[in-house]
Amino acid sequence: MAEDLVLDTAIRDWVLIPLSVVMVLIGILRYFVSKLMRSSQVPDPKIVKEGQVIVRARNLRAGANFIPPKSFRSRRVYFSNEENGLLFVPKGQAQNAQAQMFSDPNMAMDMMKKNLSMIIPQTLTFAWVNFFFSGFVAAKIPFPLTQRFRSMLQNGIDLSTVDVSYVSSRSWYFLNLFGLRGLFSLILGEENATDDTQRMMQMSGFGFDPTKSLGAEKDGLDIVQHEWALPKFEHRAEAVLKKLIR
Amino acid sequence: MAGHSDSNSSEKKSSEAMNDVPTFSAENLQNNMKVIYYSRTFMSIIGGVLAGILGFTGFMGFVLYFLVMAITSIGLIAKAKFSVHAYFDSWNRIILDGFMGGLMSFVLFWTFAYDIVHIF
Repeated sequence: MAEDLVLDTAIRDWVLIPLSVVMVLIGILRYFVSKLMRSSQVPDPKIVKEGQVIVRARNLRAGANFIPPKSFRSRRVYFSNEENGLLFVPKGQAQNAQAQMFSDPNMAMDMMKKNLSMIIPQTLTFAWVNFFFSGFVAAKIPFPLTQRFRSMLQNGIDLSTVDVSYVSSRSWYFLNLFGLRGLFSLILGEENATDDTQRMMQMSGFGFDPTKSLGAEKDGLDIVQHEWALPKFEHRAEAVLKKLIR
Repeated sequence: MAGHSDSNSSEKKSSEAMNDVPTFSAENLQNNMKVIYYSRTFMSIIGGVLAGILGFTGFMGFVLYFLVMAITSIGLIAKAKFSVHAYFDSWNRIILDGFMGGLMSFVLFWTFAYDIVHIF
């Protein structure tokens, strides 16, 4: 680069560092606000029951090889027979998750609260950055970028000759937005706000449907190839003991 | 590096010879993977600050990132006392997991340190 720009140190003191600090503080604030707003709803006993059934079926599947074939078969029938198995859901009874969600206003309210706690701070910060810190070069990215990035990273700067790696404060904001996720997971523990919203988005996409997971668990249980592990354990014990003697 | 790992089953060692059922505890496995994720994130932040202070630009910085990740992997393997299969279900876990996740953090702290030290 022939022409290195010299940036004012005031930009560092009043734009770069404050922006990062504000982003970190907003992330922490959002974490605690979403923690406060999380209403502890009383879980529906039916849903809890189905969840426990799924856990039990999963345990059976994981430990299938440690019980004799007869025991495994009887347990499998208990879970997945077509008359009164625990995992079997009659066709007509499977209710639509979407309809269920709309019939329960609490659920939609909860989801909206969570989404709002994500969207509002982001919009406000973005507007704040746009309003106060636009129209000048705020940072330099230490790796070269192609011209395509110019319109994205340098809006507010109407100079076509400046190297693309000099970016405006808006790009610094986006870099913070994505890069601080790792830092948040370090300082706030694993269940931080961003993870939560991601999970919520996934859930709102197709809706949590217990009957579907029951069916999936039933299919998984049906295709388990049972092979009793105990007969082989004698060989293994023999090998271990031989190793001990040696 | 915060490398607190729970051992699951020590009988795993004989599994190569016996070809028997895999026995591992899912909770401990999950905990180990969490440890990997944390140490990778931490190391990518440290690596980013390091690259910025040293003034690496362009390709060199990414080389440093790969170097740091490789060091992290080696450190994790050493922490697992070189018996990876006693703690994880596959080699990919210790070598590749969380590799791309730390990249954004790395770029952020790289830019931050580089700008503060070298540009202003």
